Amino acid sequence: MGIKNIIQLNNNAKVGERFSPTLLRFFRRKWLHVWKKNPPGTGLLVFGLSIAMIMSIPIVYVVWRSLFAGTNRWLRLLDQRIPELLWNTLSLTAAVTTSTIIIGVSLAWIVIRTDIPGKKIWRWLLAIPLTIPPYVGAVTYIIVFGRSGWARDLWRDTAWLVNVFGDYSINIYSFWGVFFVLTMFTYPYVYLIASASLRKMNRNYEEAAYSQGFSASEVFWKVNLPLMRPAIGAGGILVSLYVLGDFGAIATLRYVTFTAAIYFQRAAFDTASASVLSLVLIFLTIIILWMESKTRKKNKYYQTSNTYREPLTLELGKWKPIVVFYVSLIFFLSVLLPISVLVYWSKIGISMGALDGRFFGFALNSLKASSFAALICMLFAMPIIYLKARYPSIITSFIDKLSYAGYALPGVIVALGFVFIFNNHLPILYGTFYIVALAFVVRFLPQAMQAGEASLSLLSPRIDEAARSLGYPPWKVMLKVILPNMLPGVLSGGALVFVSSIKELPATLMLRPPGFDTLAVRVYFEAAEAVYHLAAPAALLIVIVSILPLQYMLKKY
Amino acid sequence: MYDIQLKTVSKTYLGTNEPAVKNLSLNVEKGSIITLLGPSGCGKSTTLRLIAGFERAEGGSISLAGKIVSDENTWVPPEKRGVGMVFQDYALFPHLNVFDNIGFGYKEKDRKSRVMEVLELVNLKGFEKRYPYELSGGQQQRVALARALARRPVVVLLDEPFSNLDADLRVTMRVEVKRILKEAGATAIFVSHDQKDALAISDVIAVMKDGVLEQIGTPREIYRYPENKFVASFIGQSNIIKGKISDDGLSVFTNTLGSVSCNHSHCMCAGEEVCISIRPDSIIKDANGHMEGRVKEFTYTGETIDAVITITSAGEEVDLLMHIHPEENIKTGEIIRFKLLPNFVAVVKNE
Repeated sequence: MGIKNIIQLNNNAKVGERFSPTLLRFFRRKWLHVWKKNPPGTGLLVFGLSIAMIMSIPIVYVVWRSLFAGTNRWLRLLDQRIPELLWNTLSLTAAVTTSTIIIGVSLAWIVIRTDIPGKKIWRWLLAIPLTIPPYVGAVTYIIVFGRSGWARDLWRDTAWLVNVFGDYSINIYSFWGVFFVLTMFTYPYVYLIASASLRKMNRNYEEAAYSQGFSASEVFWKVNLPLMRPAIGAGGILVSLYVLGDFGAIATLRYVTFTAAIYFQRAAFDTASASVLSLVLIFLTIIILWMESKTRKKNKYYQTSNTYREPLTLELGKWKPIVVFYVSLIFFLSVLLPISVLVYWSKIGISMGALDGRFFGFALNSLKASSFAALICMLFAMPIIYLKARYPSIITSFIDKLSYAGYALPGVIVALGFVFIFNNHLPILYGTFYIVALAFVVRFLPQAMQAGEASLSLLSPRIDEAARSLGYPPWKVMLKVILPNMLPGVLSGGALVFVSSIKELPATLMLRPPGFDTLAVRVYFEAAEAVYHLAAPAALLIVIVSILPLQYMLKKY
Repeated sequence: MYDIQLKTVSKTYLGTNEPAVKNLSLNVEKGSIITLLGPSGCGKSTTLRLIAGFERAEGGSISLAGKIVSDENTWVPPEKRGVGMVFQDYALFPHLNVFDNIGFGYKEKDRKSRVMEVLELVNLKGFEKRYPYELSGGQQQRVALARALARRPVVVLLDEPFSNLDADLRVTMRVEVKRILKEAGATAIFVSHDQKDALAISDVIAVMKDGVLEQIGTPREIYRYPENKFVASFIGQSNIIKGKISDDGLSVFTNTLGSVSCNHSHCMCAGEEVCISIRPDSIIKDANGHMEGRVKEFTYTGETIDAVITITSAGEEVDLLMHIHPEENIKTGEIIRFKLLPNFVAVVKNE
């Protein structure tokens, strides 16, 4: 592929020599220099660049629009709306990040390093909340703690509670409600990354510290914690990105952060204000992404040496009951209670005939949009991965970065960009489910890319060369060697995209054509109207689908 | 008739000023095994990749079996060159079993019988259905070799094929690979940084350094008569001593060792300032020897005693490395008498 290009460029240079030989030669040299003398085929490159364009245009459009929102609107928003939203968003992000770090790290430490009974099972069980979308969790907590929930009934019937505290005083629709729900369903990010780093931690460091006369707690604070710092940072950043971008749980619990505000501005057809708020949110996200790239650089210092030995298991002794209680409590609050509530209401719903044609219609809509998105993602992921792995250059890393734009930024912003573009330029597609699927692609393509990259990275470039020397031209090498080896990874990537798309809420809400309700959309609306027996079966189905790739996610961390 | 011919080939990688290969010319006879030997970064792998067509030379020409594959006007892509390549990490296709790996590039009608034939050649009958991850390192290497040979290539290129094997397997695979290549009648180029691999397997060794060919010859020639200091010290151990060619042109006069007779003088003129390379093997401990030295230090290796002795003559001191039979008992400071055999003494350029 590369070689053909060089020949072509040579020919071009000969043709052009009559006009301006030096200039053409200059560009040819520059071009080869960028690609380290190995440029990809034109078709592949154009395909990759177009995908990158598709992935980034919605966001560029939002930024563009925000710049033309008018000084008055900017001033008004900066004066009234933005300070309040900043406070709401940042305080929530900081609180959730802190609490998930405390819970995630402590659970990781207990499960990996202590002799808690049932270690192996806990490792699994404590990761399950990852598969429950926070808005589903929010719905279950509304059912339990809401104004007509079970907890209120229990409170009312418990004399001493009423005597001491007065009337039922838990308000789930509050900062603390959102804080609690987000903590419970996002701590696994920290937990998984922290346990991976704990498992890799070499015992030699600890033993070196013990031999210097350190006590067990000193070793924890002075050896283990510093070694875990990059992992804690990475987990914390994932959580903060999640909280910044979450719409479902926050809107369900009627709290207002940037995402919810953008959604409601757009629902009130004030898209200019929505774009202004989006710009601020993009800015916040970029700050956190910048912090992430810093911690990733730091991560490199902490490499385990090749004389790796498994860490010591600490005995809990008299602390055992307390620790078991703590771990069980977290499991109860983040898995057992929500799932039980869903099962309970699903049973009621099913007995009342919730699984009717309407329900299957929603499920079919979810299936249609999500599988279409998964297919497109698999198709788009392959050329980008191949370019990135085999033709490293500034241009490919640019394509790669652009492909991550929709993944890193909140879904409402991507959806807003789509609203602008399709409303103004492609009205034919506006009002079809393809626009929803395309938004899923922009949001989740990197998931398919990461999975495919993992399998392509196992394939050394020498393999390509071996196939070349055995008489295969480049395009055949790609078909006969690269594709079969990349396919398992890309397929599992497609599965991940499918599951994420099933769960996706804000973009679906904003872009769906009239009448095109998915399971996620139904959960949101039924819960808002307190029709729990209709919300629960859909929510339960989403959770069941989400549990499927759990095995893969556990391996990834 | 040469199977591989390189004429003044040069290659500079982007971002570097020093060429990786400088004006390299090399001819390989049909059916012979040649090793490109040198330290890492000497351009030997680049040379191999130039022949295979994975890199493009800036100047010079490369021809395979009499056909030019690369020069200013010609460029034949790797898939049309008819070379078989064995990679350092073998590069077996992970999604194909042994049979399909070997038959990957073979498209004639007798595919099945040809693959079985090659399988037999590499002693892997019965392994057809296995996948690469189910094979040991030595078996993977045989598959890689079989795959390269299946298409009856003009030349076989082997890039550090033994570097991933442990010491014992390495010794057996050297013999095995040489047998397979000879039986197949293949012309082969090896790339290696290990002198033992090179000495054991090659008909011809080409020693390279900094992209330049330092010396080319049979293993015996290279070991006995290195042409310069680099070759003398890179292959085996050697003592390098300054001297001057005597009037008859048959011996070299040195300040410390007197007149040393040499079998080979690489056509240098009488009176020229040169160095001589004395292999430790040609210094023999002998109670009646006409030279003596004081033991400075020694290492007992089991097979021999590597002793450094200091010779003082005319106010000048020189240290010589010699091998002493491990049965002998020597002490530091002891005086040892020895003689010099001319077999492993060579005149090298004084650079």
